[in-house]
Amino acid sequence: MTDTQPPAPIVDISGLTKRFPGVLALDRISVAFRPGEVHAVIGENGAGKSTLMNILAGDLQPDGGEIRIDGRLATIASPLASRAAGITVVYQELALCPTLSIAENIMMSDMAARSVVSLVPRDEMRREARAALTRLGMGTLDPDTKVSRLSVAEMQLVEIAGAIRQRARVLVLDEPNSALSKRESDRLFEIVKQLRADGVTVIYVSHHLKEVLDLADRITVMRDGRTIETMDNSGLSEDRLIRAMVGRELDTAAQWSLQPQARSHEAPVVLSVEKLAAPGLDAVSFHARAGEILGIGGLPDSGKDMLGEALFGLCGRQGRVTIDGKELRGGDPQASIRNGMALVPADRRGAGALLTMSVANNVVSASLPRFSMAGFMRRAAVRREARAQVARLDARISHLGQKLGTLSGGNQQKIILGRSLVTNPRVLVLHEPTRGVDVGAKAEIYAILRGIAGEGVAVVMISSEIPELIMNAERVLVLRNGRISGELTGAGINEEAILARAMAS
Amino acid sequence: MTQAVRTGARAPATDRFTLARLLRAREAGVFIALLVMCLFLSFATDGFLTSLNLLNVGRQVSLLGIMAVGMTFVLIAGEVDLSVGSTYAFSGLATGMLIIAGWALLPAICVGLLTGVVIGLVNGVLSTYGRLPSLIATLGMLSIVRGAALILTNGQPVTVNARNGALPDVLQSFGFMGQGYLFSVIPMQLVFFVLVAGLAWLVLSFSNFGFRVYAVGGSAKAARVSGISVNKVKISAFVLMGVLAAFAGILGLAFLPSSQAGRTGLGLELDVIAATIVGGASLSGGEGTILGTILGVLIIGVMRNGLVLMGVSPFVQELMIGLVIIVAVGIDKWSTRRTG
Ligand SMILES: Nc1ncnc2c1ncn2[C@@H]1O[C@H](COP(=O)(O)OP(=O)(O)OP(=O)(O)O)[C@@H](O)[C@H]1O
Ligand SMILES: [Mg+2]
Repeated sequence: MTDTQPPAPIVDISGLTKRFPGVLALDRISVAFRPGEVHAVIGENGAGKSTLMNILAGDLQPDGGEIRIDGRLATIASPLASRAAGITVVYQELALCPTLSIAENIMMSDMAARSVVSLVPRDEMRREARAALTRLGMGTLDPDTKVSRLSVAEMQLVEIAGAIRQRARVLVLDEPNSALSKRESDRLFEIVKQLRADGVTVIYVSHHLKEVLDLADRITVMRDGRTIETMDNSGLSEDRLIRAMVGRELDTAAQWSLQPQARSHEAPVVLSVEKLAAPGLDAVSFHARAGEILGIGGLPDSGKDMLGEALFGLCGRQGRVTIDGKELRGGDPQASIRNGMALVPADRRGAGALLTMSVANNVVSASLPRFSMAGFMRRAAVRREARAQVARLDARISHLGQKLGTLSGGNQQKIILGRSLVTNPRVLVLHEPTRGVDVGAKAEIYAILRGIAGEGVAVVMISSEIPELIMNAERVLVLRNGRISGELTGAGINEEAILARAMAS
Repeated sequence: MTQAVRTGARAPATDRFTLARLLRAREAGVFIALLVMCLFLSFATDGFLTSLNLLNVGRQVSLLGIMAVGMTFVLIAGEVDLSVGSTYAFSGLATGMLIIAGWALLPAICVGLLTGVVIGLVNGVLSTYGRLPSLIATLGMLSIVRGAALILTNGQPVTVNARNGALPDVLQSFGFMGQGYLFSVIPMQLVFFVLVAGLAWLVLSFSNFGFRVYAVGGSAKAARVSGISVNKVKISAFVLMGVLAAFAGILGLAFLPSSQAGRTGLGLELDVIAATIVGGASLSGGEGTILGTILGVLIIGVMRNGLVLMGVSPFVQELMIGLVIIVAVGIDKWSTRRTG
């Protein structure tokens, strides 16, 4: 078919195997990455994508198989060795230093490459960081800001900014935009295309199949620790990819065509927010009715990323937040839980999760009173509930005692969602609820959310993914500069309308 | 694009108001506490606000301060060192015994410092490649080094004087290091403290190594994937700590030329850690500054001095020091939680 030989691969993997206690994460996989291509790697949660990327990063060592770089056998013994081979990685679970500034984080690998006895070039650091941020359209971010004060979206941008300025030969992006809005993602894709034109190999892991089809030259599908196939991206459809990912037909058409039903106009107001002010938020007022899915959209700097934490009381706030007329004290998450609010935060490794505890304990950790008696945990009940949630959310785990931190990213997200469902909330606040979740599970989660809304829960869905809002919300509030810049309902909810209200100045 | 409102990332509106900026600095809380204490003591006592007394406070805190500088590195790197009190005793004793054996001053001091290097190296290797939490590794070393000092001296006091065999000119220089005065006013110990703190400040704030210490303590994972050798940085911090503890031990013996392995420097590690923590260093790593540590050391020193001047009993003094630690760190945490 082709009359020209495909170029020799820059990274050639064959028979690679990685075993964790209880799981074979990679099972003799083989895949070749060519110079100057955008190569997408897709697969369900837990398929082994991040494991492969972490091996390329030198952060994990394989148990078998070989990696060739430029045709020569290579062992990537450490992150330093990976970098020396020209590989740069943006990790799915961000690897930033929260106590340092943006500039210091962006320049960290530069500093590591310089002599220990050199001076810290403060001005150069700031300048370089600002340039890298500007390239991503985030030039207004102050490079001296501590990373611990950033939202997850901003952290992702910082991580990407640090990676692209390193002029790698192979750039690995493991779900780099899972918390970014369309505008930032688009800018990232522009840069990816530019890098490809410069001959850089970009390995791109994503659950956004549409983006993958737009961007990739070739696509490798993984399933259960194996590489199923590598396809040239021509004439492919989302359905074709999904079939390869799940290994069977998935009736996505039925699931994805669901439209939000307006059924809650008359329902009583459950959550009411008056003049809520917090860092980045400026006197926001709104309400949510029982049985309603209320969507909240906006750009990363709009204040929407603080809204979940402010409502739940994780940060200081002014204004009134009431549930069923009862006022919630600011700065007191306990009270929020007691009064029926549950939060699924975007930062699942920070506020979200007990990474060193078991899956079962994480599922019940927000509803301990119900699962303990006379101070002791009711272990049987805990396991029953955990098993039920795992099944309901289709989470891939090896056993209920597995530590949360060793689950794949998307599966962690499912467990945290499960935890908030167990609390039987009156108001469920979700921030990027499907961050890193695969297509099949996404549809499941949407169905579950509609289900609990149907039971009279008010669901507040804060999301950077506009399609997610359109598909689920019957009313969408758009934030800009810390204020509500628009409210859309019913047929008025569409991408153009949301973007227009998010960006107009 | 419009000037966007950032979530929590708002830049300071202006850099012109340097006073406001100073007040926002991490060290501001400690500094104000120190100021309040000094003001109070100036009114409450006659003797506090005299240059003689202030220099005296400076001397008293110097040894603690030198060690706290080392501890700042260790805490920022996300570790802790409990063995410094024992190192203080051991290195001082080793140097003292060599002087008594008729050694010249410089070689004796070098060997003393070398013992600090070795102890730091062991602490560092155990806490990194040995995979022990440094709390455990250095707790073990606390006993081991103390035991080694007891064995070395057979539990007997070591007194550095001519009768025991020290050379007269060595004795004179050694005494000057501990008891002398620069320009006949500034205690030599204070001079050494200022030198050590100044150098450490330069290293921590301006050098690549200092940057790595912060990075490693802030997130070992982020540092590692950036290509920083986490273990090497941590071991270096422990070695630095060991050397400074040894140096303080040697100066201590020079000031008070008699030492006993069973007594010298007992519990000193807690004072050192307390001063460093009061100065804003975080036990979870990534945070701390030399300036803060100096202020922390001064708070403890001024407190001790003031209580003595006011004639408070030593028992109550001990209690008050404990209160200061809790209140100072408490205020710091509360104020950062409010704004953060
Ligand atoms: N440190 C670990 N210990 C035990 N099991 C692990 C560990 N890391 C990963 N695993 C397991 O290996 C499998 C593959 O995980 P991996 O993170 O590679 O999935 P993924 O394809 O990146 O999924 P996602 O799309 O959710 O990010 C999962 O079953 C996961 O639970
Ligand atoms: Mg992953």
